[in-house]
Amino acid sequence: MKQLRFRFVLFSLVAALLLSLGGVPVSTARAQDVTVLPVTWWGSQTRHDRTIQVIEMYEAEHPNVDITYEFASFNDYWTRLNTQAAGGQLACVMQQDYAYLAEWASRDLLLPLDEYYESGAIDVSNVPEALLAGGQVGDHYYGISLGTNSQAFILDVDAFERAGLDLPSPDWTWTEFEETALALHDALGIWAMGYGLEDVQMWKSLLLGLGELPFVDGQLGYEDDQPIIDYYNMILRLQAAGAYATRAEQLEFTSIENSPIVTGLEVIRYQWSNQLSAVWNAAGPDRHFRLWHLPRPEGGQSQNYLKPSMFFSITAQCPNPDLAADFINYFTNSLEANDVLLAERGVPISTVVREHLLPSLDAAQTEAFDFLARVEQDFSPIFPPDPPGFSDFLNNVYTPLFMEPILYGQITPEEGVVILRTEGNAVLQAAAGN
Amino acid sequence: MGQAEAGIPITDLSETADVRPGARTRLKTKDFKRNDLAGYLFISPWLIGFFLFSLIPIGISLWLAFTDYDILGDWRYVGLQNFQQMFFSDVRYGRSIKATFEYVFVSVPLRLIFALIVAMLLNTKRRGVYWYRAAYYIPSVIGGSVAVAVMWRQIFGRQGVVNAVMAMLGLDTVNWLGNPDTAIWTLILLAVWQFGSPMLVFLAGLRQIPQELYEAASIDGGSSWQQFFRITLPLLTPVIFFNLVMQTIGSFKAFTQAFIITGGTGAPLDTTLFYSLYLYNRAFVTYQMGYAAAMAWVMLGIIAVLTAINFKLSSLWVYYETDVR
Repeated sequence: MKQLRFRFVLFSLVAALLLSLGGVPVSTARAQDVTVLPVTWWGSQTRHDRTIQVIEMYEAEHPNVDITYEFASFNDYWTRLNTQAAGGQLACVMQQDYAYLAEWASRDLLLPLDEYYESGAIDVSNVPEALLAGGQVGDHYYGISLGTNSQAFILDVDAFERAGLDLPSPDWTWTEFEETALALHDALGIWAMGYGLEDVQMWKSLLLGLGELPFVDGQLGYEDDQPIIDYYNMILRLQAAGAYATRAEQLEFTSIENSPIVTGLEVIRYQWSNQLSAVWNAAGPDRHFRLWHLPRPEGGQSQNYLKPSMFFSITAQCPNPDLAADFINYFTNSLEANDVLLAERGVPISTVVREHLLPSLDAAQTEAFDFLARVEQDFSPIFPPDPPGFSDFLNNVYTPLFMEPILYGQITPEEGVVILRTEGNAVLQAAAGN
Repeated sequence: MGQAEAGIPITDLSETADVRPGARTRLKTKDFKRNDLAGYLFISPWLIGFFLFSLIPIGISLWLAFTDYDILGDWRYVGLQNFQQMFFSDVRYGRSIKATFEYVFVSVPLRLIFALIVAMLLNTKRRGVYWYRAAYYIPSVIGGSVAVAVMWRQIFGRQGVVNAVMAMLGLDTVNWLGNPDTAIWTLILLAVWQFGSPMLVFLAGLRQIPQELYEAASIDGGSSWQQFFRITLPLLTPVIFFNLVMQTIGSFKAFTQAFIITGGTGAPLDTTLFYSLYLYNRAFVTYQMGYAAAMAWVMLGIIAVLTAINFKLSSLWVYYETDVR
């Protein structure tokens, strides 16, 4: 008897263990003719809601397609997607970023889209070539832009009025910017600008305005450090005059809601154009803002470029790439879908969709569309996607060894550019060796 | 059959074997083995968890430390390259060591002194003393949480409470979190504020000191100060030592505070770049898993060495009543 009971206990224990270990496998049996299409993206709540609505619309039109989806915030998204890529668990359609597109394509994780462009499965007949180019890596397209962005200065029009200053000309130079900033500070007593000039994206733009590239062949792509020295000296002069926030003060600006343009502590804010809505919402409808071209170097070209805010890519692990292409086509070209998406990912690349949306936009979006149209008249071609090791370069060299020590006055810009070059090239070359 | 009938506890096994070797011992061993199996089965959830989520990952991380694994790529063996970079060319690594040591060596002694003072104050029979003990312990329960870190950020913000008080007193306000000279001190202060758990241990230690010693000292005319330095401190040294070791190890692993309060990048100027924070950044911001694993193993080494030094030095100042000197 005792033996029996002992065995019974043993068996039930093992059974319980096995169940708890494996989890109860979820039955995934579906009707034979239903195809599953996993889609994943990052973003805010608004984006999640709108994207899910479009997915449901697509499913309603295609009863034999079941779209499963996952979404996350930007940082969590990349941690998860990296892990999934390593485990062969990638979704079919993934949102991609310009910073990672080249790396993912070079590791054969993405499918080229050229075939679908040629066959018309993804209709790009209404898309200007410049807006497709951002998704190109080598000779192939690996991502289709879901919206266009450009860097901009948001100008507080009311503050310019109070200061008695006219808005600058669209092709203003850094010299004119400095004069304007000092004049704004003198007239209003607040910062002309809180932060942004030291941002790595501005460093890249500055090089673009000089006709240079930030990176070439896994190394810093420019020879002359002098313009960067001059640029940082300008920042230091503005800081000394009180027209630009110090680094210590900048650390306090953590969200859009407490950003100085919203609280009325600055007149000019550096921002991507699709973020104007968020700023304007936080500031309230009775304020007035314009999006403006970035200043350019004396005698240089435009520092603005047309950047795909994000892409859709088809992953190489996808079993139904044709279906994925059809969904992407619906997402980018369907007017009904875009009535729901409402350019939340940036200005749509299809001119037809753009025309269609114009009447339904609010003030901030109208300004963003208008700004993009102005930039399309005068822009520089986008530089190639960031090289492998860019994240290392930014987080372990640019910010802690170059930008912060200069702004805290620990080193001079002259010393800084030397460090940036030697240390920067070192991490870029180490990453290129992989 | 079965151990219940035999009625012999396991510890008596050798004795019974002495009396009757042979058949009985064999029976016992068989029985014992089956009981072993049942025992392992019962703790198997924990065992499986331990192997799957602790021991095996620890082994893998040791291997990772010698690779340049970046999640997307392969595990390429690179020998000692990670360690070489860490010790000879990574400027930020040096800064993180400096920030961590500064934090540990300042905050741990301060926290212990503070905990001892409060424990002395609470070691009385006054009314409501239990309430005070609970109240003083609470910060160390919630101190590591995100909520407190966020609160700390507000307190030391440019328009926070501290600056408001300074302005009232007519002093210049300071940008506590943005200034490289002051940022680490806000974190040290937070650590000192979480003195609750060493305080409890001190309280228990104070209770252990025989009352007669104080009585004898009073009769001989010893002042309170003399009593403290001649009786309390020497008899408390084992407790102080315990607290010192535990708090040092705990402080080396500080992460949440710096992650939230100064933004997670070690700002300003890497002065709050705690070791574990930098490790996290290498692993999950720049995806250099191999380098991060190497850093983790070096951290283990540093803590082990410091603890060993602590134990070595302890013979110089820790007094155990059982010691014969």
